[in-house]
Amino acid sequence: MLLGVWLGKLMAWLLRLTGRRATSLPGQLALRLTPRLLSQLGGQLRRCVIVTGTNGKTTTANLLAHMMEQAGPLVHNREGANLPQGLVTALLQYTSWLGRLRVSTALFEVDEATLPAVAACLPVKVAAVTNVFRDQLDRYGELDGALGKLLTGLRQTQAVLVLNADDPLAHFLGLRCGRPVVAYGMSRSCVQTHSHQQVRDGAFCLECGTRLTYDGFFYGQLGLYRCPACGFLRPHPDVLGVWQGDALEVEEAQLPRVRYHLPVRGLYNVYNALCAIACARVLGLNAEQIAAGLAQFQAPLGRMQAFTTRPPSVLHLVKNPAGCDSVLAAVQAEPGRKVVCAAIHDLAADGRDVSWLWDADFEQLASDPSVVSCVATGLRAEDMAVRWKYAGVARERIACHPDLAEGLALAFAAAAQQGATVHCLATYTALAPLADLLQRREQADASQPAYRPSVS
Amino acid sequence: MPRSLRIAHLYPDLLNLYADRGNIRTLVQRCRWRGLAVEVTAVPAGDVPRLHEYDLVLLGGGSDREQQLVGQTLRRYQAEWRAAVAAGLPLLAICGGYQLLGEYYELPSGERVPGLELLEMTTVAKSPRLIGNIAIASAKCGTIVGFENHGGRTYHRHPPLGRVLRGHGNNASDGTEGVRWLNVFGTYIHGPLLPKNPRLADQLLRTALRYAGLPDELEPLDDELELAAHAAFLERRLQLSTQQTEGSHSPGEERLPAGHPSRPT
Repeated sequence: MLLGVWLGKLMAWLLRLTGRRATSLPGQLALRLTPRLLSQLGGQLRRCVIVTGTNGKTTTANLLAHMMEQAGPLVHNREGANLPQGLVTALLQYTSWLGRLRVSTALFEVDEATLPAVAACLPVKVAAVTNVFRDQLDRYGELDGALGKLLTGLRQTQAVLVLNADDPLAHFLGLRCGRPVVAYGMSRSCVQTHSHQQVRDGAFCLECGTRLTYDGFFYGQLGLYRCPACGFLRPHPDVLGVWQGDALEVEEAQLPRVRYHLPVRGLYNVYNALCAIACARVLGLNAEQIAAGLAQFQAPLGRMQAFTTRPPSVLHLVKNPAGCDSVLAAVQAEPGRKVVCAAIHDLAADGRDVSWLWDADFEQLASDPSVVSCVATGLRAEDMAVRWKYAGVARERIACHPDLAEGLALAFAAAAQQGATVHCLATYTALAPLADLLQRREQADASQPAYRPSVS
Repeated sequence: MPRSLRIAHLYPDLLNLYADRGNIRTLVQRCRWRGLAVEVTAVPAGDVPRLHEYDLVLLGGGSDREQQLVGQTLRRYQAEWRAAVAAGLPLLAICGGYQLLGEYYELPSGERVPGLELLEMTTVAKSPRLIGNIAIASAKCGTIVGFENHGGRTYHRHPPLGRVLRGHGNNASDGTEGVRWLNVFGTYIHGPLLPKNPRLADQLLRTALRYAGLPDELEPLDDELELAAHAAFLERRLQLSTQQTEGSHSPGEERLPAGHPSRPT
């Protein structure tokens, strides 16, 4: 065991020394030498909280981390490295050279497919499922497979489940797991009145196969659902959220409503905040600790991350139709003109199949006059461009270059010309390179004054 | 004024796992850009498909659970399906929808889920799943590219849609992909299938127009973006050059039935 710990820690130290991010590689190396390292380190924890689901894991976990840190130190895979090697890397940071873990509480976001492999290694006391959307089908097989993996994983734990009541698939998990459940959900008053044609992944009752009917949708398949045949229906949430602009009021049985200021934008992020608050309540944190945690939150990489470039730019992660639709809605809600620059890669971590681009509602870009130009880039730039063409985006508003730097340059040129903000949408593996390019642009723009004094 | 082309999308709520909506979108836009009237009927699960009212039917892919549900529904109207397909109803069936056209789909447990029996074709589920990028050579439409993800191995003696250049195809052993028989187009390729394969999209449209008794001359479109995506996929993802694949398809793999199928009156 010690050899794995040493080499892992050494590698993390070397990576940081050379200025690189050490999120997975040290754990990967340590696991190769000591395959049981996760359970050996995990076994030293007193309690572990897990956040899993399709979308919003990283944001939810980071929000919750800030809240939990108000109560004590915490191991946390902050940068979203959510495979076993990522968990081990995070644990190694708090492990002494003698293999002792110095912290007793951990918070991990865990990939759905990884959950069955790690659940038994950790003393999981609370497990949150944000939602179950279609994500990376080619990696996990089909949607039923993702549900199965979650179910297998959660059943190995002794956890209280914190589940999204508005998601029929998450609710189904709760019914099948046999673990105690705390359900969170949005208030009826937050139902979306205009409903786009979106893919409803769980539109059929998992109990009996009948089509679910909805009294209202929040987004995607999230809404007030019920099965007309078997009585499967959206439960009343134990933790109920009422979203009001930049504030979220939270209601729990018998307790007075508490109003929290939100550090995030967009309905999908409000759900993440609500999930984190529900977990915090299960962990016994009070309203002050929750509010303090929310106040310390900063948007993680690619979650509406703003860059002070000229023209200004914002970076968004997109990886599946539901997440992409939420991002598009958030982009459109921003004031002013926009240039959308989508960087679409199809490496293993992105999912090699890009057919999800056709399930995302890019039609809403075509009908929005504030979106002045769409630039496709990345290894599958051409697929993105074709998608836009068929969504109805005018041909002259579409540009395409597979090289990220070149694509980004096209987007900034268009934005400068039109007085627009650049909104970059990036798949997982395009995110870090794009963030680098934006940072460099930021530095270059900062060193050059916008208005040069006249020298005549 | 000629009537509009009628396309039916069967069970989009159950069988839309691989963005089959993109195929519909492609057909519709390619009609609209040419000024052809087109209407799409989404037939939700539970509704009876009125096959005589459609000029082209799309059947997509779903997860195993959803596919079983569809199989049960479809089989109730087996006689109607057989008559319509024999009369030349153009049918595009993808992945799960393709498997449903055969005699049965054998699950790993050995249980056989009966299909529509429109084709002399059987499918056996096996692991590993056949997942990845694929390119095939077809006689009528040149190369066809896309993505495949299926556990089933499909065997049939009908002409295939094409020969596998890269990827797995019907069963990863006999080098065939899909089926092309009467006016049935069956394939494992999605991604979705039609946007990056505009020649295939137009062939489908021509087949449907002919079946509808409408003029089947199609004005050429500016396919620059589509063909760029097709070429980029071949080169960047499959290391095939466009020149390499043109003309490499063997003749005779795709035979159209003798005589133009006509609509029953």
